[in-house]
Amino acid sequence: MEFALDEEQLGLQSAVRDLIAAHSPLDVVRTVVDSPQSDGVPAGLWARIADQGWPAVLIPQEYGGLGLGLLEAAVITRCLGAGVVPGPVAASMIGGEAIRRAGSAEQQATWLPGLAEGRIRLAVALLRPSAAWDRPGDSVKAAGQTAEGKLTGEIGQVEYAHLADRIVVAAEADDATAEVGLWLVDPASTGVTSTRTPTLDATTRTSTLTLTGVEAERLPGGDPATVADLVSRATVLAANDLVGIARAALTRTVDYLRTREQFGKPIGSFQALKHQLADLLVGLTMAEHAGWYAAHALDAQLPDAALAVSVAKAKASDVARLATARMIQYHGGIGYTWEHETHFFFKRARRLEQTYGDAVQHRARIAALTLDRVP
Amino acid sequence: MDLTYSEADEQFRAELRAWLADSVPPQWRTFGYWSRQDPDQSFDRRRDWEAAKAAAGFSGIDWPTEFGGRGGTPAQKAIHDEELARAGAPLTVNTLGLTFLAPTVMAIGTEAQKREIIGPLLRNEVIWCQGFSEPDAGSDLAAVRTRGVRDGDHYVVNGQKIWTSNALHADRMFALVRTHPGERKHQGLSMLLIDLHSPGIEVRPLRQLSGSLDFGEVFFTDARVPVDSVLGPPGEGWKVAMLLLSFERGSSAIGQYTAFRRELDEVISLARRTERGGRPAIEDPSIRQRIAQLHIELESLRLHSLHVLTQVEQGRELGATSSLTKLQWSQTHQDLGDLFTEVAGADHQLTGDDVDAARYGLQRAFLWSRSETIWGGSSEVQRNIVAEQLLGLPR
Repeated sequence: MEFALDEEQLGLQSAVRDLIAAHSPLDVVRTVVDSPQSDGVPAGLWARIADQGWPAVLIPQEYGGLGLGLLEAAVITRCLGAGVVPGPVAASMIGGEAIRRAGSAEQQATWLPGLAEGRIRLAVALLRPSAAWDRPGDSVKAAGQTAEGKLTGEIGQVEYAHLADRIVVAAEADDATAEVGLWLVDPASTGVTSTRTPTLDATTRTSTLTLTGVEAERLPGGDPATVADLVSRATVLAANDLVGIARAALTRTVDYLRTREQFGKPIGSFQALKHQLADLLVGLTMAEHAGWYAAHALDAQLPDAALAVSVAKAKASDVARLATARMIQYHGGIGYTWEHETHFFFKRARRLEQTYGDAVQHRARIAALTLDRVP
Repeated sequence: MDLTYSEADEQFRAELRAWLADSVPPQWRTFGYWSRQDPDQSFDRRRDWEAAKAAAGFSGIDWPTEFGGRGGTPAQKAIHDEELARAGAPLTVNTLGLTFLAPTVMAIGTEAQKREIIGPLLRNEVIWCQGFSEPDAGSDLAAVRTRGVRDGDHYVVNGQKIWTSNALHADRMFALVRTHPGERKHQGLSMLLIDLHSPGIEVRPLRQLSGSLDFGEVFFTDARVPVDSVLGPPGEGWKVAMLLLSFERGSSAIGQYTAFRRELDEVISLARRTERGGRPAIEDPSIRQRIAQLHIELESLRLHSLHVLTQVEQGRELGATSSLTKLQWSQTHQDLGDLFTEVAGADHQLTGDDVDAARYGLQRAFLWSRSETIWGGSSEVQRNIVAEQLLGLPR
């Protein structure tokens, strides 16, 4: 029985934290937040992250990747959440995973080594923001189901589409089957319009992607089960980003409450605050366990993996909402200023909460999985 | 990560499961069975059953063999708790003795105490209760007033203990008693091991909110306790109490998880056969959300238990984690009780012999869950501990 990170995973965690502390502290994040027209990645940060191989954590070693599992990807993503770090790391992880899982040998050889070297950045457009969690690709139609096809449709809030060399798009077949598949889109192709969409969460850049008869390459292994699995993996990464945000929000709040004095003593000594934060730690600890377990369950193909994904995302969404709300509240007036960093955490949490299915959607799915299959 | 148990642990599980299959009568396995039984009779049957379990080598799982234990791993103790709950086996009648007193005696007891206490406790020949709370010493435990005055080879004890679980069935009590002078209230206490059958001791039942008589008051009037019945150094009772309570640390909540999971399954089953707003409650989206939330909290509790178990097996210091664990399971259990009332609707009020066993069992769990955020350190005390010791907030 070992339900904990092992030595190597803990080492990876320290390495990611160290790099973030050195190269993406909050004042660097602030430069991204305060320059919404910029590309959204601090100068030099991507090169350093890519140099460590983190965007290619899931890419097999034969293509130059780290060849590790979703659990290691979750370790990295959780640290990125804790640092509200800007950049297309998770998008590249999932994009690379799509090519690894569903791409032809030729597509893999074309894209994976570049991704591993940090030359290539990917974006993924799997799930329209308000779509049902289990309906990836519902707003894009693919005409032609051979190697080449034409995509038409629109999908909003695609993370880092403006930086991507290729975008992995989920689309439904434009025929009676309406079967979902995966396509590789070159953003420079005729018929692609990518429009930057500013979001409250200014640590992340998003775009609306409009496709009009765009010629795209099919990822031949992108059957519905594979698409669903990719959505699950992306969901687990979002959950772990949220858990990281929640932990950082709590830690930063506790640090503040230890030093901020009112009525002649640190306000952290007041039970009104202590008890709320104790409860928050309980919920957060549970979300942390659930976030690791979902990643592990997908890696190990455990029978309850589908449930574990929804448990992790629902719990992480709720806890991150609470943690970041308390962060603002307990910082008082300063916490409601642009100058303070509370809003980085709060807004990123609220965006990710609604990404890849919110808590209500995932609870509905848990109910469907547990109640509607009568033994 | 590896969520499987070792071959030896699984072998243990198989042996225990086989024994339980033969020794737990089928009717005991029916959900809600015990809540219907006469308390005194049920106590005796549980006591005997547990003694048979000990005789079969399935008690004291992680105790050293020199004390009559099995010498098993922490994982085997967790498996034991899980399998008992899964089999619908009765709950132990000697919780406080097994969880707290025995490990403390093993750690600091005299050779005579080890010999006289541990074996009979394991075999249920002696049932123990805990004498900590008093009318004016609840969360402020060190405020105990029950006094023991030295008279020759005895302490003469006067005072009152309250909320004493198992008081009516217990043979002995480990009690925090003020025996020595001290400037501060934590000083001058001793942990006395008191024979409740001796003169000058009166046990009165207290009826709980649920109607049961599971706890009571114990009055001491010139009760004489031999001086060699002190556990640990005389006057150092506070330290002994803290050591004793520390044995809650690292105890897995896997037993609670398994029992609560069974209750949730019963609530789900009830939701399938109960109408709510003109359709089965199970189809009501708000009920489905609540059931899903309970699933999330229980699954989190299961994973948390496995994490704690991992830490124990790796010999890591757990600190105040047990407070966090208790907050999670006790709150989840209350949420589960509330969900029962929502699913059952107004019928959750119906009680007595005509209510079917499952619904009656859930009703009992619903009421009992209200006590769980009070006993063993109230949730407010647990939150202070979590805030100060895990988060590092100032006192």
